[in-house]
Amino acid sequence: TSSASSNLLQQRETPEGDPPGLVERTEKLLREWVGIHQSGQTAKMFPIFVQQMTVHGILKTDDLVTRFFRLSTEMCVESCYRLLATQPNGPNSLELRTKCYETLDAFTMLIVLLIKNSGSSSSTNLTPEPAAKINLLSKILSIIANVAIKDQETRRAEFQHLAYYRILILLFIELNLSPPMLGLPTQGFNNFNQMTANDVFADNVQLQVLYEFSKTLRLLKPSRVPSFAFAWLDFLSHRLFVEKCLSGQPANRPSGNILKGWALYAQLLIDLIKFEAPFLRNVELPPSVDLLYKGTLKMFLVLLHDFPEFLCEYCYSLCDVIPCNAIQLRNLVLSAFPRKMRLPDPFTPNLKIDQLPEMSQPPKTSALQNNLISTVTFKDELDSFLKTRSPVSFLNNLVGYLRAQSNQIALSLGGSKMNSLNVPLLNALVLYVGQSAISSIQPRPISLTNIAGTTQMDIFQHLATKLDTEGRYLFLNAIANQLRYPNSHTHYFSSALLYLFAVAPSEQIQEQITRVLVERLIIMRPHPWGLLVTFIELIKNPIFKFWKHEFVRCAPEIEKLFESVARSCCVQNT
Amino acid sequence: GVAPLGPVSLSKSCYYQLAMLDAAAHHQIYPSDSQRLRLYLPATRYQSPSYYPQTVLPHSDTAEFFHRLSTETLFFIFYFMEGTKAQYLAAKALKKQSWRFHTKYMMWFQRHEEPKSITDEYEQGTYIYFDYDKWGQRKKEGFTFEYRYLEDRDLN
Repeated sequence: TSSASSNLLQQRETPEGDPPGLVERTEKLLREWVGIHQSGQTAKMFPIFVQQMTVHGILKTDDLVTRFFRLSTEMCVESCYRLLATQPNGPNSLELRTKCYETLDAFTMLIVLLIKNSGSSSSTNLTPEPAAKINLLSKILSIIANVAIKDQETRRAEFQHLAYYRILILLFIELNLSPPMLGLPTQGFNNFNQMTANDVFADNVQLQVLYEFSKTLRLLKPSRVPSFAFAWLDFLSHRLFVEKCLSGQPANRPSGNILKGWALYAQLLIDLIKFEAPFLRNVELPPSVDLLYKGTLKMFLVLLHDFPEFLCEYCYSLCDVIPCNAIQLRNLVLSAFPRKMRLPDPFTPNLKIDQLPEMSQPPKTSALQNNLISTVTFKDELDSFLKTRSPVSFLNNLVGYLRAQSNQIALSLGGSKMNSLNVPLLNALVLYVGQSAISSIQPRPISLTNIAGTTQMDIFQHLATKLDTEGRYLFLNAIANQLRYPNSHTHYFSSALLYLFAVAPSEQIQEQITRVLVERLIIMRPHPWGLLVTFIELIKNPIFKFWKHEFVRCAPEIEKLFESVARSCCVQNT
Repeated sequence: GVAPLGPVSLSKSCYYQLAMLDAAAHHQIYPSDSQRLRLYLPATRYQSPSYYPQTVLPHSDTAEFFHRLSTETLFFIFYFMEGTKAQYLAAKALKKQSWRFHTKYMMWFQRHEEPKSITDEYEQGTYIYFDYDKWGQRKKEGFTFEYRYLEDRDLN
């Protein structure tokens, strides 16, 4: 479109301005290179082409190199728009796309070869210096990201992901798969295929490559470049990217590196969910968000199946950003459990969960899990209350603290004063208090009697009674988030929730506890193990007098629902 | 869906994001966008009737499956699906059926009979080969298969 191309001209006349003739030289070189690539002479002609670049003065300064890549990226993007504009979704769209690929692939291969040949990597050099290569990669990736961001700003709804997505993903594929990676001499290995995972050097380089790509993806995150969101999710779920970020045998790799890959990936997932959250919160889900959410669910399903330990370890950070009503997504996260573990069937009659050895082991928590609680002003008072159970005024102030803190955080993020609670803070508080309870109870077993009357339970009971309906809903959700595979947290919070039900001063609290549990069970599987166990205990154990409550029979469909749940829970194995 | 905490009004930037996302939903992502270029068999998407198989057969990505394919199918995969796992599996299956790849002619050869002569550098005799140009098997008598053109990498 004409307006778009005039925008691009404006872009080229940036304040710093490209030196005269650079645009033409870049165009000439790029055209020449695409020709070379199409003739299949890429590797052979590359040294000659580099000479050409030198002759044209491109490689003289870092600034010119940067400009060359920016202009080339813009030209590739432009050529794709021109091609796609002729017949956007017509019968020949694949042919048109293939034409786009030819230019984009040529440019990508140029980048790959320049990176591989940059820095000192002569075969005589025994300690290869990957820094130069990584620097160049970093520079090029940020150029591409910035061109995309500008493109989104100018073209808006006309933005197309194709050029950026293909360059980025192919670059990632080529840098990871084509031998030898990054053109670095690998120590002791001539054949890339023989390079094993315990090659610490290769592993570190690979991690740096991953880091650069995840940095770029964060620049292009959906909240910043929403038009790129679908391609962005596609990149995140690309099998090679998932594999490089998340897999690896801990035994063969320096374990720190896997965790770093995990942390990078978790951060991207958090960006994705944060983007979807405001839309998911509302009842009406626009079709485009619905499509993105379906893709998200599919990806989490893959993660649950292939990398459950990853989801286990990052469940807290993920649950902090998953909105309350994205129950399916949260259940996918909370259903993850370590592969080596065998979960007893929760429907087994007379299952004694407190006798499972796993129930006294704490779950692994992630390194990313930033303990929000340690940053809040009332942390000292909380600690001293947990120790001395005084002053009582602490309890009375707690809800106020939570609200003040949430307002403070909202204001610091540039938002307006809000009256709802800060969910991550509430989650952190519940987890912190629970952990302190577990350590004060152990080595005694966790049981309804042992959790009763503790300082920690005072806090929970206080929150359950003093918070308003919305606050209590969030609070009970924070507890329900801990009901996962057999571990000490699951055990403690399951008992705590049942205890809160048993001692609740009003039926409203019991109704809300039931609501939080049922809401997570009436949807499709998977259901977290601890959640099922807790709910079955609630409806089976006569001490809770579950069936005597009015809310169970408040409406015929609710009553039917409970009966069917009860049937599936209690009669399953008879 | 339910909104337990009630709907919130979206911010201005959310509306902008939504508009952009709506527009992006019209630009579909092709599977080929994230694959190395396929010259001959690009992945095309077409809605086929539901009573047709929608997914490939299970275990069709195993060596055993490729051993059951006809030689011609294997040649097709070898020449038209370059640089894929399928090509690798096809080459493996062909080797198992005593086909040998000639790196100069880029064709597959199979001994028709015991070679008339065998030296360290070559063997000579009658061979069957697959001509990708004419797309068929041909016989060649008195052909000298130089070992330096023999592709003998271990495919494992």
